[in-house]
Amino acid sequence: MYLRRINVLILFCSLGVLGISCDRSQQFSEPLPKVVDFNFHVKPILVQNCYLCHGPDPSSRKAELRLDTYEGATAALKEGGHAIVPGKTSKSNLVQRIYNEDPGQIMPPPETNLKLTEREKALLNKWIDQGAQWKEHWSFISPETKMDLEDPNAIDFLIGKQMEVKGLEKVPIANKNSLIRRVSYLLTGLPPNPKEVEKFIADTTKVAYNKMVDVYLNSPAFGERWARHWMDLVRYAETKGHEFDYTITGAWKYRDYLIRAFNEDVPYDQILKEHIAGDLLENTRENKETGVSESRLGTTFYVMGEGTHSPVDVRQDEADRIDNMIDVTTKTFQGLTVSCAKCHDHKFDPITAADYYALYGVMESTRFSPVPADVSKDKKLAAKELVDLKTYMRKLVASKWSTAKNSAENAELAQNTVVARTNENYTLIGDFRGSDFDEWTSDGFAFGQRSTLGDPIVDPATGKLLGLQEGKASSKAMGMGIFGALRSPNMVLDKDFIGVRALGQNSSIRIIIDNFQLIQNPIYGGMDQKVNTGNWNNFVFNVAAWKGRKAYIEIIPGGYERHIYNLPEDAFIEAQYAIAYDGEWPADMENGISLEQVNDNWATLDIPPYKVKMLNEDLKKGKLPLNFPELKPVVDSSQQLVNRLKTDSFFNGIYDGYGIDSPIFNRGNYKEPSKEYIPRRFLSVLSLGDSVFKSEGSGRMELAEVMLNKDNPLTSRVMVNRIWHHLFGRGIVETVDNFGLQGKLPSHPELLDYLAVKFQNDGWSIKSMIRAIVTSETFKRSTLRNDLLANKDPNNIYLASFPVRRLEAEAIRDGILVVTESLDSTMYGPPVATYLTEFMQGRGRPGKSGPIDGEGRRSIYLEVRRNFLEPMMTTFDRPIPFSTFGSRNVTNVPSQSLILMNDPLVAQQAELMAEKLMEKRMIGFEEKVQWIYMQAFSRLATSEELEKASNFFDMLRTMEGKADASDNQELAVWKEYCHSIFNLKEFIYLI
Amino acid sequence: MGHHHNTKPRVISRREMLGLSAGGFGSLAFMGLFGTLPFGCKRASHLETASNLYLGPHYLPKAKNVIFLYMDGGVSQVDSFDPKPRLTRENGEDPRKKFKVDATQFDNVGKILKSPWDFKQYGECGMPVSDLFPHIATCVDDIALIRSMVSNFPEHTNANYFLHTGSGLQGRPSMGAWMNYGLGSENKNIPGYVVLDGGLVPPGGLDNFKNGFLPASYQASVFKSGPEPVANINPREGIKNLQEEKLQFIKQLDSSLIGKIGEADAVESAISNYELAYKMQSSIPELTEFKEETEATKKLYGMDSDDPNLRGYASQCILARRLIERGVRFVELTCPNVGPGVDRWDQHSNLKKGHEKNAHAVDQPIAGLLKDLKSRGLLEETLVVWTGEFGRTPFAQGSDGRDHNPSAFSMWMAGAGVKGGTIFGKTDEYGYRVIENEVTVHDLHATIMHLLGLDHKQLTFRFGGRDMRLTDVHGNLVKDILA
Repeated sequence: MYLRRINVLILFCSLGVLGISCDRSQQFSEPLPKVVDFNFHVKPILVQNCYLCHGPDPSSRKAELRLDTYEGATAALKEGGHAIVPGKTSKSNLVQRIYNEDPGQIMPPPETNLKLTEREKALLNKWIDQGAQWKEHWSFISPETKMDLEDPNAIDFLIGKQMEVKGLEKVPIANKNSLIRRVSYLLTGLPPNPKEVEKFIADTTKVAYNKMVDVYLNSPAFGERWARHWMDLVRYAETKGHEFDYTITGAWKYRDYLIRAFNEDVPYDQILKEHIAGDLLENTRENKETGVSESRLGTTFYVMGEGTHSPVDVRQDEADRIDNMIDVTTKTFQGLTVSCAKCHDHKFDPITAADYYALYGVMESTRFSPVPADVSKDKKLAAKELVDLKTYMRKLVASKWSTAKNSAENAELAQNTVVARTNENYTLIGDFRGSDFDEWTSDGFAFGQRSTLGDPIVDPATGKLLGLQEGKASSKAMGMGIFGALRSPNMVLDKDFIGVRALGQNSSIRIIIDNFQLIQNPIYGGMDQKVNTGNWNNFVFNVAAWKGRKAYIEIIPGGYERHIYNLPEDAFIEAQYAIAYDGEWPADMENGISLEQVNDNWATLDIPPYKVKMLNEDLKKGKLPLNFPELKPVVDSSQQLVNRLKTDSFFNGIYDGYGIDSPIFNRGNYKEPSKEYIPRRFLSVLSLGDSVFKSEGSGRMELAEVMLNKDNPLTSRVMVNRIWHHLFGRGIVETVDNFGLQGKLPSHPELLDYLAVKFQNDGWSIKSMIRAIVTSETFKRSTLRNDLLANKDPNNIYLASFPVRRLEAEAIRDGILVVTESLDSTMYGPPVATYLTEFMQGRGRPGKSGPIDGEGRRSIYLEVRRNFLEPMMTTFDRPIPFSTFGSRNVTNVPSQSLILMNDPLVAQQAELMAEKLMEKRMIGFEEKVQWIYMQAFSRLATSEELEKASNFFDMLRTMEGKADASDNQELAVWKEYCHSIFNLKEFIYLI
Repeated sequence: MGHHHNTKPRVISRREMLGLSAGGFGSLAFMGLFGTLPFGCKRASHLETASNLYLGPHYLPKAKNVIFLYMDGGVSQVDSFDPKPRLTRENGEDPRKKFKVDATQFDNVGKILKSPWDFKQYGECGMPVSDLFPHIATCVDDIALIRSMVSNFPEHTNANYFLHTGSGLQGRPSMGAWMNYGLGSENKNIPGYVVLDGGLVPPGGLDNFKNGFLPASYQASVFKSGPEPVANINPREGIKNLQEEKLQFIKQLDSSLIGKIGEADAVESAISNYELAYKMQSSIPELTEFKEETEATKKLYGMDSDDPNLRGYASQCILARRLIERGVRFVELTCPNVGPGVDRWDQHSNLKKGHEKNAHAVDQPIAGLLKDLKSRGLLEETLVVWTGEFGRTPFAQGSDGRDHNPSAFSMWMAGAGVKGGTIFGKTDEYGYRVIENEVTVHDLHATIMHLLGLDHKQLTFRFGGRDMRLTDVHGNLVKDILA
């Protein structure tokens, strides 16, 4: 249930004709707009004052009148007449009622204690006079602009236009010290180096500012700052939380991916595509230095959610997980709260439950998988060459054995019993003894794309042919140490057991029920079986408890240890077939084979199993030539290719499963599904939202495409608004993750649309957008405000001055490290372990604490353990990673002061700074203070500040002297002074 | 983030705040300046993003404070407050022949297991209590017992989140955070939501106590026993008065900054925050040292016991009383760690030893707390809540344990607004399922809020496009236990 808080009611209880006398051409402090817009001028008045009784909810509607639709507002009233007659104010009862002075007639009624202002009445009147044009919700209308997209003054013009309307006067440009500090912090999250400050101040050329901006835009620290902004959207964490806080493999690789992407200014449309469907892109984007594919790393954001430990109701667990995926995806990329439509159609936005379950199908069709982190074009090429070599070997053998072709034709099919694919006791889920994988999916390179049937077995030393492989799925079909996984289509569990005939070493067979991955005891332990046997063995899974659930089988070399996937070098797995059965393992399975589809192509030795058998027998009997010296070099080259394909580095990602449509779950309860299934598609209210995805898989590629369709009104707007938010501390739409009807209206709609159009026109370049904004005069203004401004625009919506803001948690900590010169600017890599205080207790606590100073690394490199979040980060409002947070809270609590006053890290850093200062061997006291001021505040101390410092030192020396007259006194007093500096508001506020 | 507001909080004017620039550090009378705003929220900007600010109750409250005695792991209802003679009669029989057995987390269903403890009737009301809790038994006339609790989750972590936040998922605000959001704290020098970490942080971790999407000011402060009860509460300066001098210096410089910038409100708040932080430094140690507690009081709680776990929990109970005396809105006590294999109430095996050790540690301190509160007249304004996250099965797990049971468990409340000596709800003859007057966790939340004067349907916060509630879209008052 959703609660609406609308304070004012209008009741149209009875109608009467009354004389109206009022001056409708009066003057207002803020003149009426030339064209009254429904979304920006009229709807807010109606929502606030009318909709409780005349809105969408029929249960509270009065007089059968609804003002939320054009049809409703212009319909004939029960009592006669019409509330609104477009273009005819005199015939519109609404106008008569709002201007009425009779307490029994006026709207809103007096008992609501609410009154329309004269300006509001005039707006409604003028709007009806102009034709009462109804419009779709503003954010669903595509952005348009008449401005010149290359005009460098466009932003200032559009900001200025609204300031003028509000009668505000802009303040002057900030001084250069403030400017460089502002740009440096907002672009890189770090204070400027004093040398940079001096250089900028000394540079009096016209281009000095733009040059300075480019320095920070091109700094590697830029990516570290903007990646962290993005990480707030995707609930970035390196563990799965819940009971034991398991690691999310390679989460940090996604963090590094973001840093590189922002630094390289990868176009936003590409970033979006890589997130939504990076695994499905035909043209992947490679890391320029390493050649490794970047695109698939984007999909890691899907797996950043919470992971439940042994949920009893695994289907509900899936529903919760998918809900979180939908929530994060739609908020992040579309600024819409689609998750609200889980239980019923959205109460406020035109988003239906069907929309939600259309996306649910997309997510349900998406599977999770370890993904090798080092896939490159080179590897893809090597894999292809390997396959080509194998084909070559087959062809070679076939041509030399051409005489055997005819005798093979006569081989008897009866050598194999043909078994039914299904009978009352069992169902064959997959048979790999033929030449293919029986519609299973082979992911990665290990298994190749066909079974081993007919592969020549060659002695690598001599090149002698030992025989032909029988049919099986083998992870060493190409060679050992290569990643791959063989996965079945989805099935509904309807038998007590699943059986897989397999052998192998250090490998696993897993039953994935409802996409549940954290398989372990209690409950699920039996669903992950280790394979360590050199002989064919029947692996049996008792799935009786999950009958009716959706599941698939995963056959994978290597395995999971505490949910971290490892691929030992000697790991391999081979499988013949998989079945579902009741009672005993069906006996005829072992010899029998299902041969519904038999390939028979001698030229490539793509022949049925019985022919392979016969040829092997003939070979044994010496009927066939077995010396193939040509094969030896081929085998050698193959081994070299295999070495190029080996991998041992993974991240948790996704791969595309088999397309599933979902029913609607009544009231969000999966136990109450609708009869109809909702085809996978986008949101029906947006353009192309009705086009059903045609993909046989999840349809995520199509999802990315519709989000990037030129008619999508949200994608570009939402992103430019996020950029604006990070630069000004507030978005043009303040509710950065909600552009729906309950979100705030844009303060500068024309500006937002201009930026949205420009962003697309500039090739979705984030850096260009940032450059355009920070080089505007609006951005450069001082924070100083006079009382007039404070009164007229108390919240600084119109940006006559630059907003004062507190720095984020990371910027505060990193800033301290920079000014003490102890920042280790090493980029990338595994996170630095969390420093565990006594207060951070509970299950899953790491055995060892990380270092208190995080090895001096930037905060973005500190581990994010869901159940052991860094207290300094959370206290300074870094969001708890469970949903999208495009805008952080800014709280002000004593624990923040306590950290800066008493936290051992801050004290340690103060001491370090004092030591640095001693080392510098500067002569005078004043010089030292100035050094500190330049480091910490990017400016010199004033004479007043110098004097205060001097007095403070006198006092400190007296106190220290009493306690300790040792040589360390000088160090001790400077430490106290530096510690005080960190506690100054100027240090944590951008002013 | 999707915050909106329709109601603006009372904003302290800048002039009121500028008292700051005068006088020495710690000399300002801040008390009372902030009305009933929550702890740490003098006028912080985040309040302006709150969707709906109820600075004060919706109606006349019965309780001012809550002490939440969290029985981590799930106490067995049939061994504590819900006697089932049939278990004794059918001890050792196959439960599946008697009733439908639900899937459990460990799926190791054993035989029907009788309670190893006897039950006796106590007090004027005659409430039966097992021998596990001889001290609490002496307080039954103040206790309203609910035997018909159910949870939605049979796993600890989900169930813990559910009990604490009303949702089985991570990241939602804890009830202590909601209470403080709704009511604020009466004391400006101590946080309004305190968790006394007795040794065990429940599964799910500190997220059980977090603010979720509410502003960070509403999260719990975790207190530990030992020399630094609250993180960063002890000054690092080795020399007396040095910190005061530094803070004075800081304030001087900060104050001169105010004149140089616009929109100084947030900065002013940050400055005054130091005043609060400074005061916390002295008020917390004063609180955790029991200087003025008499020997008799300490003995009442069991501070003279030989059992170190009992002494530890006794000290937490005394601290809880001292906290609510000082106006802390919500205090939660976690369980002591009574030793390997039997930590928390989660006895999948070794029921007898485990429940006995846990009960021994908490029984006397809890009874002491109830009696002490009563004798001081504090029980009238304090709600004491005792519950685990779910119950346990009436049949064995293996031979001598009990598995999780979300289908029935017992909890009790005592104190303000609660009808003492009441038994509400009923389970079947095995204590396996509720058959009468089912009470959900949402109902419990609604009832606790009601006693504090809060309407659970009205206390909302806009997040992600929805007006969020502790009780989501659920919750009915348990009227029968209200006085």
